[in-house]
Amino acid sequence: MLDFKPNEKEIEKIGKFSIEEKNFRIENLKNFNSVGFPNKLVEDWKFSDLRHIVSKNFAKLDLKLKPSKEENFDFIKDFEHNYIVLVNGRLTSNSFQHEDNSQIVINPYLNKDFSNKKEKNPLINLNYALSIEGFNLEVKDNYKFNKVLVIYNLFTKDLNENILNSQNRIKIGKNSELHVFDYVINKSEKNFFNNVYEDLYLAESSVFKNISIQKNRSNGFFHKFSKNILSSKSNYSSFIFPLGLKFDKLDLEFNLEGENIECNLQAASFLNKGDHQEIKTRVNHLAPNCKSYQKVKNVIDLDSKGVYQGKIFVKNIAQKTDAYQLSKAILLDESSEFDSKPELEIYADDVKCSHGSTSGSVEKDSIYYLMTRGLSKNESVKLLINGFLSEIIVSIKSKTMKNFIEQKLLSQIYEH
Amino acid sequence: MLEIKNLKASINNKEILKGVDISIQPGELHAIMGPNGSGKSTLANVLSGKDGYEVSGELKYQGKDLINIPIDERAQKGIFLAFQYPTEIPGVNTNNFLKTSLNKIKKARGEKEMDTLSFIKMIKEKSNELGMNENMLSRQLNVGFSGGEKKKNEILQMKILNPNLAILDETDSGLDIDALKTVAKGVNSTRDKNKSFLVITHYQRLLNYIKPDFVHVLADGKIIKSGSMELAEQLEKTGYKGIN
Repeated sequence: MLDFKPNEKEIEKIGKFSIEEKNFRIENLKNFNSVGFPNKLVEDWKFSDLRHIVSKNFAKLDLKLKPSKEENFDFIKDFEHNYIVLVNGRLTSNSFQHEDNSQIVINPYLNKDFSNKKEKNPLINLNYALSIEGFNLEVKDNYKFNKVLVIYNLFTKDLNENILNSQNRIKIGKNSELHVFDYVINKSEKNFFNNVYEDLYLAESSVFKNISIQKNRSNGFFHKFSKNILSSKSNYSSFIFPLGLKFDKLDLEFNLEGENIECNLQAASFLNKGDHQEIKTRVNHLAPNCKSYQKVKNVIDLDSKGVYQGKIFVKNIAQKTDAYQLSKAILLDESSEFDSKPELEIYADDVKCSHGSTSGSVEKDSIYYLMTRGLSKNESVKLLINGFLSEIIVSIKSKTMKNFIEQKLLSQIYEH
Repeated sequence: MLEIKNLKASINNKEILKGVDISIQPGELHAIMGPNGSGKSTLANVLSGKDGYEVSGELKYQGKDLINIPIDERAQKGIFLAFQYPTEIPGVNTNNFLKTSLNKIKKARGEKEMDTLSFIKMIKEKSNELGMNENMLSRQLNVGFSGGEKKKNEILQMKILNPNLAILDETDSGLDIDALKTVAKGVNSTRDKNKSFLVITHYQRLLNYIKPDFVHVLADGKIIKSGSMELAEQLEKTGYKGIN
């Protein structure tokens, strides 16, 4: 059984660091090693026993220290875009040809805040200890992007039971707007673990829209912690289509720190062939008059598992909060599983907060109806699954994006 | 076209159809009337092949046994059921669904599949005939449709799929008089010497617009009386109690 507890010497191999940074990394490593990968006894991991998952799927976990070359991959041709290329988490190239480059800062990034703290999520400590440089993107005040920014997350063929740790940061200035298309391209045929820490800061009245999708099924085991700080009148929206990862946990924290913020998160997944996917959200309403909305839809097939843990926290001063959370799952097989843990913690008295969660099989009456129109049972089920998940896609405003996502999602459904 | 002899059907060990006999020839339109709970919808379901029923007796369509044929194959062979309560299917676009369905049936019949342009032209024409707003067809299938819109959508599907045998399960219920006339017109426009219809209804009202060749009264799982249009008129006056 793999007992992953890296030695302090591994840190020296990553790079040369100041004494302060080195100590910070060592402390974080100690914190991680004191608990290791969390198992199901830890409340936040009760539905995703990572220790078990890692030991079942990995004989070893090597740090990938030698940078991999940027392998050839197909750029998206469906729509014009700016891009950033990350190879195994490391920033390798970028182009902002559709933008005024004086309004944008892009460079490799590493956390420089060495105030040490023991994180509740040990994967964050692991990331602090072993992280290589990801990217830092800053959009200055009053600048709206002309075209979408595609982040190509390329994972290379030479990965073989490696663990990758990287950090990214995005900061959007006042009244600025950025649309990001997060696109994962996976060439690795062997298992690997990708552990990302991401910071997002939205200044006053800024807009951030994000769509995330995988190009193909892969042997990736992904964990991402994302901390999002939203200032007053900012608008955040994210559509996540995490398809075809062996393991995926997205741990998303949103701090709504000013008034009149809108925070909207929607996810649609088709999980099969043993996929395990968890989305965990924590939305902290810390100021009045904000809206937040989370909607997670899963279709779960053979031996697969979907999890949604969503918490809405409303501080006493956050009056007139309007928060809604919904998760829906269709289970296609007796071996499929969906777990949902909605939580509301409310300290203000004039708020509108609710949550709902449903799971069940495909409606028999709907299958019957479609079959009376000549479709086979299998075709009817696929059409219904597609319909169930496309409800999320329908809310994407850009038609090109919508078509692009729909094709990807359909190919996943019709492949199975 | 359709031979039903001593057809029995039970669900959860409860016998609903207790020996039904009907024979429908090509070109004929038969109406089935009957009180609530007499087994009318069960008959429609059993003819379409719905799961969950224990079925015995003889059921022949175009001379061939139908009982063990699955639902989709029956549809491909030209049997169409217009639902009493059409199912709402969220996320499925009505137009895309209609095209998929039509091409599936065409393919099964060995006909050439229809391309998008010809399909759009046809659907525009046929929906106009039924006074349907075309925009409705770019919406999700039956979702948020009014009762009348749902029923018209069933008749539209019938017109598009062009079945040999159409079973209309209380298509008239919930329709106002104008919608009723439109639906009846829709049915009449598809009648010809090769097509047969089985129209299930509570009221004579629909039959004033769709003239049946035969009227059957179904009560407690059996056909208790068969006749012509006069039987429907008599029912309207005396009610089902006056039949025996």
